[in-house]
Amino acid sequence: MTLTAFPSPPPGADYDDLRQEVRAFLAEELADFPPEKRAESWNGFSRDFSRKLAQRGWVGMTFPKEYGGHARSALERYVVSEELLAAGAPVISHWIADRQSGPLILAKGTEDQKRAIVPRIAAGELCFCIGMSEPDSGSDLAATRTVATEVEGGFRVNGTKVWTTYAHVADYMILFCRTGKSDDRHGGMSQFLIDLKATENIQISPIIDLGGEHHFNQVVFDNTFLPSDALLGEQGEGWSQVMSELAFERSGPERFLSSFALIEELIRLLRKDATEAQQAEIGRLSAHLMVLRQMSRSVAGMLNEGKNPALQAAIVKDLGALYEQDIPRLARSLLSRPAVPGGRDSYAAVLAYTELAVPSFSLRGGTREILRGIIARGLGLR
Amino acid sequence: MESMIFDMAERLFRDHVSHGLREDAAAGQCPEALWTRIEEAGLHMALVPEEAGGFGVPAAEALGLVRIAGAHGLPLPLAETLIANAVLARAGLALSGGRLTIAEGEVLQLERRGGAVHARGHLTLVPFARWADRIVTIAALDGADHVLSLPVKDLTVTPAQDLAGMPRDDVAVDLDLPGANAAALPGSMGGMRGLGALVRSLATAGAMETILKMSVEYANDRVQFGRPIGKFQAIQQYLATMAGETAASRTAAEMAADSYDTAAFALTVAAAKSSAGEAAETVGALAHQVHGAIGYTQEHALHHFTKRIWSWRDEFGTELDWTQELGRAALSSPHDTFWHFITDSTAQGATA
Repeated sequence: MTLTAFPSPPPGADYDDLRQEVRAFLAEELADFPPEKRAESWNGFSRDFSRKLAQRGWVGMTFPKEYGGHARSALERYVVSEELLAAGAPVISHWIADRQSGPLILAKGTEDQKRAIVPRIAAGELCFCIGMSEPDSGSDLAATRTVATEVEGGFRVNGTKVWTTYAHVADYMILFCRTGKSDDRHGGMSQFLIDLKATENIQISPIIDLGGEHHFNQVVFDNTFLPSDALLGEQGEGWSQVMSELAFERSGPERFLSSFALIEELIRLLRKDATEAQQAEIGRLSAHLMVLRQMSRSVAGMLNEGKNPALQAAIVKDLGALYEQDIPRLARSLLSRPAVPGGRDSYAAVLAYTELAVPSFSLRGGTREILRGIIARGLGLR
Repeated sequence: MESMIFDMAERLFRDHVSHGLREDAAAGQCPEALWTRIEEAGLHMALVPEEAGGFGVPAAEALGLVRIAGAHGLPLPLAETLIANAVLARAGLALSGGRLTIAEGEVLQLERRGGAVHARGHLTLVPFARWADRIVTIAALDGADHVLSLPVKDLTVTPAQDLAGMPRDDVAVDLDLPGANAAALPGSMGGMRGLGALVRSLATAGAMETILKMSVEYANDRVQFGRPIGKFQAIQQYLATMAGETAASRTAAEMAADSYDTAAFALTVAAAKSSAGEAAETVGALAHQVHGAIGYTQEHALHHFTKRIWSWRDEFGTELDWTQELGRAALSSPHDTFWHFITDSTAQGATA
């Protein structure tokens, strides 16, 4: 039963020297970065931080050197990723590009696209967003209605994308839309690489989340012209291209470390004197973290070998979301201290932020129900 | 070598561990003939280093045998014998062959009497004691871990069993052990609780893989409301949840097996055993929910596996024991942050 087998990461996967370098960098860069900012986890945005990280060679680590990358392994990238997340560093400005857009362009892009874009990703200069969900196409991605129609010299795009994280600041979008008709529900889809700063007739407007934060946007394409060279990969192959991105998107440490700032706050307060019951809960939390981390590292190892562990990635994301969503409940069961937005102390602020963040964890990147359906079919359900 | 021993074990168990054999064993009948085959194949020596008579299989791979024994519901002390032989070999004691078992020895009182060591006390829940030739245990003598090899014929064994009907006997110990049966344990293997927890975690993972496979097959075959029940989203969600728990437990157990005999073992085995116990709860309950009433019968094979994973929770430390130990370590660690504690103390080169 291969679905439940997560091969151990190869010997030496700890990369201790690299880890210590990253820790030293973070200790300096984030010396005055307060817990309530760290709580934003990978939603924190700082172009300055992303650029500094890139100067150390820690963005685009796995990209080939000829495209500005560093030709390092997925496991080395993993060490940097998890250290950034555990510290609550503001990484979103480069995160999506580094995680999936860059690898997608490298795998499917034209030589011109690769040369124009990938080195700038590796320099930490480009922020990417993903145009996938629509008002009537959430979990059911095949119901996508946004359409790109071929015209002289390119395409005209019409339609609306929603929940587009950081579209309001992003430099590029990778758009998923229809380019033709097909009898196959998954056919006739394509991906486009859109320069958001240089393309006219795109309206980006905020969608404020329940925590009052502006991460999401609605993006309206109104007869938007895209030149032919904006097509990314094969026309009509958008579905399989998107599916191959998912193992990158779903298996990383951001799928179980999103509430980590609260864990550190909780443990800081329990350190002095914990009851046996509190110890046991912290032990349980530790055990689950060790195991999720090992599973996630295993997937990184599989990705490094060129495999497509999409099903294992779905398992990591499902278990990881349960874990990171459970942290506020756990904190509340161990300490009787209120959540206060903005905080009377750092625990109160981090708890408040995290309580309002967790409902999204099993929605973004594939809902729990969709992931479990994928896993069930992977088990051999007919 | 690895795949050879693996394939051999898989074939042996597939051909010989039947529902009937498990039923007979639960009724008290030791499957002697199967044990002979296991010994002929040399499986019981897999965890012994080459220089002590083993085959030089890496420990993590030898321990993989325990997972597949669990996957077949093997009603014999193979896991116990693997560990016992490895511990005996480490202490330089003779490997006399036969079925061996293990027990947590901290409850025994030891004292030197002339050239011998006198051991006295009461061991409880000893796996397969009445089917074993020797009980191998680790206990402190003069402040250092010692391995004791207790001949079962010289002990008083009172039969008892676990939920699955497997022997878990009470054993009264009061005897002198000559130097050939007691020696210091060098290295950092820790006590028998950790080693026992490791093999129970691996076996649980294997048994859960079988439970999951049976549940998927049942969901494909069983038709209600005009379609296989696996077509219903509720059932799919159950099976996916079982798969996640099973995968997590297997990963945890293999992580502990990877760190066998290293400084990281104390924490990884705590994570493995507590994860296995917790997953046993979920996987067992959902498997029975998927199977409906037929899975609740003696006739159906499911119960051999669910009862085993439930029983194993109580051996070599429960979830509560291990999570408390892990939590104490986390909360008292000298590391600057919890994150550093987790990463540094489970790293391959971790120091104790």
